[in-house]
Amino acid sequence: MSVVYRFGTPLLGVGCLLMLMLILADHGLIEQLSSIDSEVLQSFKLLFIGIILETFPFILLGVIVSAILQVFVSDERLARITPKGPVGGVLFGSLLGLLLPLCECGMIPVVRRLIRKGMPAYIGMIFIFAGPIINPVVFTSTFTAFRGQPSMAYSRLGLALAVCVIFGVVLYKFMKRDPLKHDAYSLAKANNGIAGIYEHDHSAGNKGLRGRITATLAHASDELFDIGKYVILGAFLTALVQTTIDREILLSLGSGAIQGSAFMMGFAFLLSLCSTSDAFVASSFNGVFPPGALLAFLVFGPMVDLKSTLMLLATFRTKVVAAMIALLFVLVLAGSIITGHLLM
Amino acid sequence: MATNDRRRFVHHLVRAALLTGFALFIAHLVMQDNLGLYIAPRMATFVKLSALALYVTAIYQVYAALQAWNGQQAADCGCDHEPPSSITKNIIVYGLFILPLALGFVLPESTLGSSLAAKKGMTFGGAETLQASSGGQATLPAAAMDSSAGGANALFPYDEYTKSYAAYGKQLVQQPAIDVTDKWFIETLTTIDLYRSAFQGKTVTVSGFVYRDEAMGSEQFAVSRFAMNCCSADSLPYGLMVKSDQAAAFQKDTWVSVTGTVEEGSYDGGPILQLNVTRITPIAAPSSPYVYPDYNFDQQFDS
Repeated sequence: MSVVYRFGTPLLGVGCLLMLMLILADHGLIEQLSSIDSEVLQSFKLLFIGIILETFPFILLGVIVSAILQVFVSDERLARITPKGPVGGVLFGSLLGLLLPLCECGMIPVVRRLIRKGMPAYIGMIFIFAGPIINPVVFTSTFTAFRGQPSMAYSRLGLALAVCVIFGVVLYKFMKRDPLKHDAYSLAKANNGIAGIYEHDHSAGNKGLRGRITATLAHASDELFDIGKYVILGAFLTALVQTTIDREILLSLGSGAIQGSAFMMGFAFLLSLCSTSDAFVASSFNGVFPPGALLAFLVFGPMVDLKSTLMLLATFRTKVVAAMIALLFVLVLAGSIITGHLLM
Repeated sequence: MATNDRRRFVHHLVRAALLTGFALFIAHLVMQDNLGLYIAPRMATFVKLSALALYVTAIYQVYAALQAWNGQQAADCGCDHEPPSSITKNIIVYGLFILPLALGFVLPESTLGSSLAAKKGMTFGGAETLQASSGGQATLPAAAMDSSAGGANALFPYDEYTKSYAAYGKQLVQQPAIDVTDKWFIETLTTIDLYRSAFQGKTVTVSGFVYRDEAMGSEQFAVSRFAMNCCSADSLPYGLMVKSDQAAAFQKDTWVSVTGTVEEGSYDGGPILQLNVTRITPIAAPSSPYVYPDYNFDQQFDS
């Protein structure tokens, strides 16, 4: 009986969802629903699926880089290239994005892998926040979006670097415990029993190229589902915000330097746009918000947004995530107001 | 077969089905020529490649399912990828993946229209955005606009931010009738808006969907397009105001081609670039409803 139960229930659940969908479609309920607010539903669908499709290549790229790191890069090699001192470490973490131009969706799995591989946690965490901004792809898109205002692209880069360096120093001083949620050992133990760990060590490492390729695929596909669920949830909420809330209502909430910056940071958090395309959204708010507020949007959004917070919570302990977000919020808020006054 | 193996078998199969679903959905969009509704052409190749990667991963999941069926230890990386053991949690997680597939396959395809344009806020003309994006420095010296010296240069004053628009404007103004092309939709609107007085009385043809809001007069609507950068979510509506006594006959979101002469109209208490319509023709929605900003526009006029 337990066989049927174990086998059948998840499949049944999925089947039920599919059936429900077909029944709804068959009885014209979806048509009825869509006739109530068909335009909103259609826009929602276009945005929702658009974001998911756009992020697929980036997630896959991130997942593949992460899987390759996992299977092919040895702890020793990484330990060799990672600087030992805190100054070198902070800079290494801040500038790693130049070598690995991933957007934030692809960043977290890579970092989780690097920390597990023995990279000091503070360096990995700086990379999570610096990488999506300090990389050539994002610089180019920002430069393009603000082509009449090149100072925006430079100050985005500069402010992100400054914030990450300060952030890194704070982390180095205060973070002593492992920030990751579970370590691999205790989890594997909980899931498979002690024997599983030893078995796994042999299965992944010693099978030559074929074994490594299989392990890469296994890892990549598992991680795809890990990250994918947060991306889909983030896309869902972003599409919902964009299709149901008037921009005017959002805009009326924030004017003035501090209020504007804080508001745009909150807005960036909600929208969860990819750092490669958010500059274009920011440039559409030009003239409505002061440049400092747009800068806050451009620096805070890629570091912390709804989508990445959900992913961070899946990877790091809740207290660590809350402290990081609070610190970054204060740093970016202060930095954007100062830069806004000095440069623009 | 151990309980754990059965659980893995089911999970691998469900995942294989979902991955195949997404790969097929992308293939379906490509075959129906609808991928362009969701993402910009320059992203299309990457999305197609990711469909391939999804498919390969799906095949691996089937292979892993067979291994689990045979009770073999799958290649594992020892990280915390184990799916949650609670069945409700699994249904929610997999349901998240089913939702976009269901919406994508069940709902008929459509294009973005007035409803979203109203939420996002229509940009009329485009000169305003340009001025804002250059920090307000693109405002043209007013005296130069009605300079009696005559000649093209006096009509098209520029600074470092508007140089290419001035160059393009000089070309455009010599054409007997100006066609606002898809390729340079925003660039052309911005140029005409920026040098409104130079284009006064010129004949312009533009196509897009009909957009209306409360601030417009009964004889006004905007011919609009969504400008997309990367995907549908970052697209923004741009429109050109038109004025016609037949305006009311055209429902919102109808696709039209409009020809008219450039004049200054009023909207929401301020002046606005407007076409005084001579002809409105309903057209079929184009296969590519979006327009895309041309990032190389500046380089076309470097001399």
